[in-house]
Amino acid sequence: MTIPQLTIEQVKAVIPSAADIQEVDRGGQKIVFSGIIDGRKYALKFMAPNPSQIGMQNSEFLDDVTSRAQREVETMQQCSTPHLVGMGPIGLNTTDIQGDPIIYFSEEFVEGENLCSYLQSNGVFSVFELVRLAFHISEAIKAIWQFSKIHRDIKPGNIMRRRDNGDFVLLDMGLVFDLQDESLSVCPVGTPLYFSPEQMDFNNRRTIMNFRSDLFSLGIVMYEMATGKHPFIEGATTTWEVFGNIANAMPRSPKELRPELSEKLNDIIIRLLAKRPALRYRSVELLQRALREVETE
Amino acid sequence: MSILAQCGYGRGGKIERGLCDGIVHGAIMSPRDERKDRLEQTIHELGVSHPNASIMFDPQFYAATLNSPRDGHLSEFNYYNNNNGLGRTHFSGTRIQSYVRECLDYQHRIFGSNVAYLISPTIFFDAFRDSWSQIALNMAVESMDYHSSLNSPQPLLISLVISETAFQTMDAVEEFLDALTEIDAQGFYIIIRRNSASVQNAMESAPFGRFMYFCHVLTTINEYDVIVGYSDWHSFLLEAAGVTHTATGWYQNLRQFSLARFQPSSGGRRPLKRYSSVPLLSCSLINPELQDIHLANLLSRVLSGSNHDAILLNGPASGEPNWTDEISCLAHWYSLNAISQRLSGLPTQIARIQEAERLMQNALTLYAQLGRQNVSFSPMTGPDHIREWQDSLQEFRALVGL
Repeated sequence: MTIPQLTIEQVKAVIPSAADIQEVDRGGQKIVFSGIIDGRKYALKFMAPNPSQIGMQNSEFLDDVTSRAQREVETMQQCSTPHLVGMGPIGLNTTDIQGDPIIYFSEEFVEGENLCSYLQSNGVFSVFELVRLAFHISEAIKAIWQFSKIHRDIKPGNIMRRRDNGDFVLLDMGLVFDLQDESLSVCPVGTPLYFSPEQMDFNNRRTIMNFRSDLFSLGIVMYEMATGKHPFIEGATTTWEVFGNIANAMPRSPKELRPELSEKLNDIIIRLLAKRPALRYRSVELLQRALREVETE
Repeated sequence: MSILAQCGYGRGGKIERGLCDGIVHGAIMSPRDERKDRLEQTIHELGVSHPNASIMFDPQFYAATLNSPRDGHLSEFNYYNNNNGLGRTHFSGTRIQSYVRECLDYQHRIFGSNVAYLISPTIFFDAFRDSWSQIALNMAVESMDYHSSLNSPQPLLISLVISETAFQTMDAVEEFLDALTEIDAQGFYIIIRRNSASVQNAMESAPFGRFMYFCHVLTTINEYDVIVGYSDWHSFLLEAAGVTHTATGWYQNLRQFSLARFQPSSGGRRPLKRYSSVPLLSCSLINPELQDIHLANLLSRVLSGSNHDAILLNGPASGEPNWTDEISCLAHWYSLNAISQRLSGLPTQIARIQEAERLMQNALTLYAQLGRQNVSFSPMTGPDHIREWQDSLQEFRALVGL
């Protein structure tokens, strides 16, 4: 997989309706520009299909980059909540730039800061912000789960805090997993530090993963935003040791690290981090009811 | 928590009396044991006369998967009779949809708001990882889907009939819970199938502790209603675990479930008369055990406090002829309900657990005191079952970290 090498002029040529184009991010598989279309700012995402996989097996086979883009676009089109990044005016398209195939689409441009950089520059969240974060991201999880899908990559870098109203938005649905789609592989994807225990159970994942796996990742994010520490890194020197901690170790109570947290909020975070899905919340509504009790404390 | 009447053959006026006395708060009706028209009429009448009672209909579909079951009146019910004689070899996973629909349609159409819940059909299984447990889960999911299309105002309980041996393996218990808690129903009606059913035949301590954990995860953690059928003295431990209701009946086969209930009867004599003692947490034989306690001037220490105690006050042996089956049943419900009320009045789960521990310790102390007065008990009466329960509670506390 390669990141497409694109200039602003080439983007302009592909999307002539876009103005004020600027490069904003360059990731592992994609390059992202911002551009104004019909007076609104959007993110313009460009990816190069994986050439080693194109044409493999049969004509319906999609390379992993294209199938991720397709999942991302499909999920944005299906789900309607302000806490999931929305689709832009340009759907999934393909083009050629200097003979290289490129896929691209647009999505809402979220002005704000992701939680990684927020934590670095501002430190941990207040209780009010923690509860708000949990409400908003659980809304996003619920919206995705309505279509029997799970996000699989909830982490601070994929959560934006909107500059205008402080709302939280979950980004990057490229790894969204459809439990009803037999064609999608169940190979391990996502960011290992935010895996749930069942996400690491490589033999059995299709049957036991559901939205409660995303709740576990949300629990890690809440723990980090409450204490400034990842719950499972302590004492680990390798990724495998972190995996071992995720699977087996009970994290220190967040309240131990942040005494002003209420017992109820502490219990919510710990419950989200339960090893077994049955010990978390069986519905997002139950989680949100518990959060409302924290709000009224 | 409250106690429900587990119905079977020989119902008589027990349920009506139990409901009027406030010692049971509902009933689970048994189609195997009553004529269809009579059972439907009874549910209708109970629904009218006791609108706040939790009346339920256990479809007992699982009997259809037994070979040549002794299924009584079940064959009068179409949802059962259409599938009667399936046995395990003819049970078809592809027909689950029709099994479920026929059963829920019947309850929805006939009972309406006279039942508190609709109860899904199920099959019994021996292990959480066997293929039958997967079929039971498939039936549960199908029931959930069909119930939501019925628009019934009565919520759905998923029924499960699980062998006690399934609780030998904790990993399997947890895997099954992960799957079960994906089900969007009001709750579960759970029957533990005992390998054999006899008086004071306590489950082994570790499996019973795991069953308590199973109930705790469903109720306290996931907020399902859980009704445990064919229950008995151990109801107070299930209450400490968070169970919503337990159901118990008048005969031993309505207090412990085994497949013997659906197999040809080997006959037998009438059971000896017993007294349900709250302080001893068991059913003592009226003669000689209770009589010996009376002779040791300790009768007042073992009485439960119901009005029926008056029959025995002048000597249990002389009162025994008046201790009818109905009174015995009502006194049993009274005792279980008294313990249940004591626990349910406590504010936290840990307080209920501590009260359960106190009840058991007091019972053991009383058994020891009676022993010193040369009162002896048969192995069926106690107190070994209490020690098993103490171990179960320890197992449970370790599992939930309380």
